[in-house]
Amino acid sequence: MIADVALPPLAIEKLPSGLTLLALQKRGLPLFHARLSLAAGACEDPRGKAGLAQFTVDLLRRGTRRRPAQDVDDLIESMGAHLSADVSMEEAALALTVPADLADRALDALLEVALEPAFEENEVSSARRRTVASLQSDLDEPSTVAARAVVTLGYGPTHPYAHPTQGWRRDVETFRPEDARGFHATRCQQNGGLFAVVGQDEPQRLLSMLRQKLTQWQASWPGPAQRQPLHFSALPPGEGLRAVVVHKPDATQAQVRIVAPGLPRTTPRYAEAVVTNTGLGGGFTSLLVDAIRVDRGLSYSVSTRLHMNRRAGLSVFSSFTKNETLRELIDVALEKMRAYAAAGPSEDALDKARRYLAGLFPLGLESHEALAEQIADAILDGVGLDHLAKYRSRVLAVTLDQARSIAGEISPARPGAQLVVVGEADVARRALNGLCPVDVRQLDEFA
Amino acid sequence: MALDPKDFPVEEHALPNGLQIRLLQDRSLPVATLYSFFRVGSRNERPGITGISHLFEHMMFNGSRKYGPKEFDRRLESAGGSSNAYTSNDLTAYYEDFASDALPLVLDLEADRMASLTIDDASLAREREVVKEERRFRTDNDIDGMMDEALGALTFLAHPYRWPVIGWMTDIEAITRQDCEQYFRTYYAPNNCTLVLVGDFDGKSALGLIERLYSPIPSGGRLPPVPTGEPAQKGERRAVIRYPSHAPAVLVGFRGPHGRDPDSLVLDLIEAALSSGEGARLKRALVYQQELCVDAHVFFGWRVDPGPFEVSLKLNPGIDPARAESSLWAELSRLCDEPMRVPELERAKNLVRAQFLRGLQTSNGRSHTIGQMEVMLGTWRALLDLPDRYAAITAADVQRVARKTFMPHRRNVVTLFPGEVEP
Repeated sequence: MIADVALPPLAIEKLPSGLTLLALQKRGLPLFHARLSLAAGACEDPRGKAGLAQFTVDLLRRGTRRRPAQDVDDLIESMGAHLSADVSMEEAALALTVPADLADRALDALLEVALEPAFEENEVSSARRRTVASLQSDLDEPSTVAARAVVTLGYGPTHPYAHPTQGWRRDVETFRPEDARGFHATRCQQNGGLFAVVGQDEPQRLLSMLRQKLTQWQASWPGPAQRQPLHFSALPPGEGLRAVVVHKPDATQAQVRIVAPGLPRTTPRYAEAVVTNTGLGGGFTSLLVDAIRVDRGLSYSVSTRLHMNRRAGLSVFSSFTKNETLRELIDVALEKMRAYAAAGPSEDALDKARRYLAGLFPLGLESHEALAEQIADAILDGVGLDHLAKYRSRVLAVTLDQARSIAGEISPARPGAQLVVVGEADVARRALNGLCPVDVRQLDEFA
Repeated sequence: MALDPKDFPVEEHALPNGLQIRLLQDRSLPVATLYSFFRVGSRNERPGITGISHLFEHMMFNGSRKYGPKEFDRRLESAGGSSNAYTSNDLTAYYEDFASDALPLVLDLEADRMASLTIDDASLAREREVVKEERRFRTDNDIDGMMDEALGALTFLAHPYRWPVIGWMTDIEAITRQDCEQYFRTYYAPNNCTLVLVGDFDGKSALGLIERLYSPIPSGGRLPPVPTGEPAQKGERRAVIRYPSHAPAVLVGFRGPHGRDPDSLVLDLIEAALSSGEGARLKRALVYQQELCVDAHVFFGWRVDPGPFEVSLKLNPGIDPARAESSLWAELSRLCDEPMRVPELERAKNLVRAQFLRGLQTSNGRSHTIGQMEVMLGTWRALLDLPDRYAAITAADVQRVARKTFMPHRRNVVTLFPGEVEP
């Protein structure tokens, strides 16, 4: 019997400023975790400044008004902590985990970095050179290039999600200290943010500590700022299959992605979508893994993923194969995905997918970091704690009719799909002959 | 501060056939993890069948007497679980994460394949193609993979660490069904396995189940000896790779101690001081101050036999690798010449301790750590006093081990230059 999972003891408080406080009690290992989420994701990157959110967040630790970058590193790492600075499409999150007895120091360090960055000219120039070099190096990793192509092509030319969080080299080269300062001043706002802590104490005590700490740092927050509302246009309408080949010289293997408009994370049909996707390409016994890896030995890795952002999403097929079997892999993938879109899963496959997701769900709540992130995201995305507390029962309740009805909407092969191949252009062009129009691009276009 | 044994009430059991069992209950979430550690990896191979340990890992999912082809994962996923495995130079580990009520099924699946794995030509042929794809992905089309393969062949002349875990492509193509059957009989017996179960279960009934399912499996014979000899290195060795990349790269290796040598713990701290965190020496000098590299990273993992201490430098486009190397040698010399100051040593210790604790947060992490301690250090109890052993390391220890390890004539250097191979 798979029952719903009780969330750990927690307390939530929304401050008048719009900042949400979240305190979670987790006994066991003597660890303390803090996570500050801000509404400063990559979708907020200004036009022509793709990558500014990530660039700004990376710069936060490169010196504050109180100490230079090296001393910031020492401050954090002397506690045995790594400060993570993750930027998704929706938010920027700073987080660190320390031994429990260092909780107070950890909160001070995190707030100093988040609220009092210096953005000095030399650090900004140095970060710009590092980022540009890193974007250039990324071109040597075919799967990274494929991922960058997927978001760009999948969301179309004007959508706020239509660029990689790391940005484009041409945009990063223009970044100046005033860009980072401006982004920080307008996006590092309490409104829309969430500050989560996970520790051994009772939630109310943790909450009280958090309140006290925020009072000490109150004056350091940037003043209120207006931001331009974002325009989330509908994703491009469906047409026939099109292919983009990104030329990678000397590749003996091709990376393959098939991408189509999908569903947002806020969809009321979330459970149906994830269960149905699991049957298609989510687990190790999914339809596609069976057809491509187990039955034919065409690839080591096969999957379909729902890339769900808050206001739009993509459905993405991913795999790779040797040059000689590129067309075979694409043909099998398209045939299987189209059939699944039309008919959905079998009763057995549906049951397996439901139980697989429900059984493994608690694993995502085990660590301090995962717990804070899952609950913070549920609150920020507006889906509520029931999204987690009732996850197992919702997943187990998905019916065959529901799965069949959504199968077409989550299929990466639905009308309007785009095929992305990163590999030898001549090989790929020959392989795709007669399948669909092919547009060959150079690697540098995706730096 | 040592871990309190009360927080780690691991039960130790063994069956007459040699199977080692470690159980650790944690009822906080309704999940559990089972690891099966087999003491076999690429060090147990020979030229001609390199990669068989890893290929065999794939074969373990292709059916056994009770559960036919495709059944292992289908049954497991249907019960709310997932499986995976990895092969290293020294061991092969299989694991299942699962909803706790799936425990009887999980144990039955594992015991059945240990007792009666099916190895047929058709599944071997398919799995061989999958592994070749994995090799193309991780090695032939991946800069880190191709450099690591070259470094292994440079650092070791005689020891089996010389070849890559995934094996040479020609060997993967040549491995036969008979090779696999012989391999299974030799290494997949209960006396070569440690079972680690962590999570939400009742200890008594879990042990009873394990005894019932595993006791009928006969013990295997003595394991063939591994040729562990390696001549002393008498001079620097170098290899060059040309590949159409966007930036050059340098990978350096020094032969270090084996995992049970106390100096391995000192090298863990040196690894942290050099490359863990943004304030680490190599990051600070080569990435931030001199702007030579996109990333500078150290890899050091415990091995059964003396293994490599590796430093990877991903250079900025256009940087001369010789310049980056020179800066690296200067940083390594500094470790040898100057005692590490107390705050930096404490920083390294805190980073290693925190990483160790974070690794124990999940059932999978605890299970893996217990098994790894058994295989690499001989007992899971080693994890209890590991924090104390790190805490006792002094600046003099760091300097002594650095001097012993980073001698110029023990360098092995692989350099990747952007460009095509000349015909």
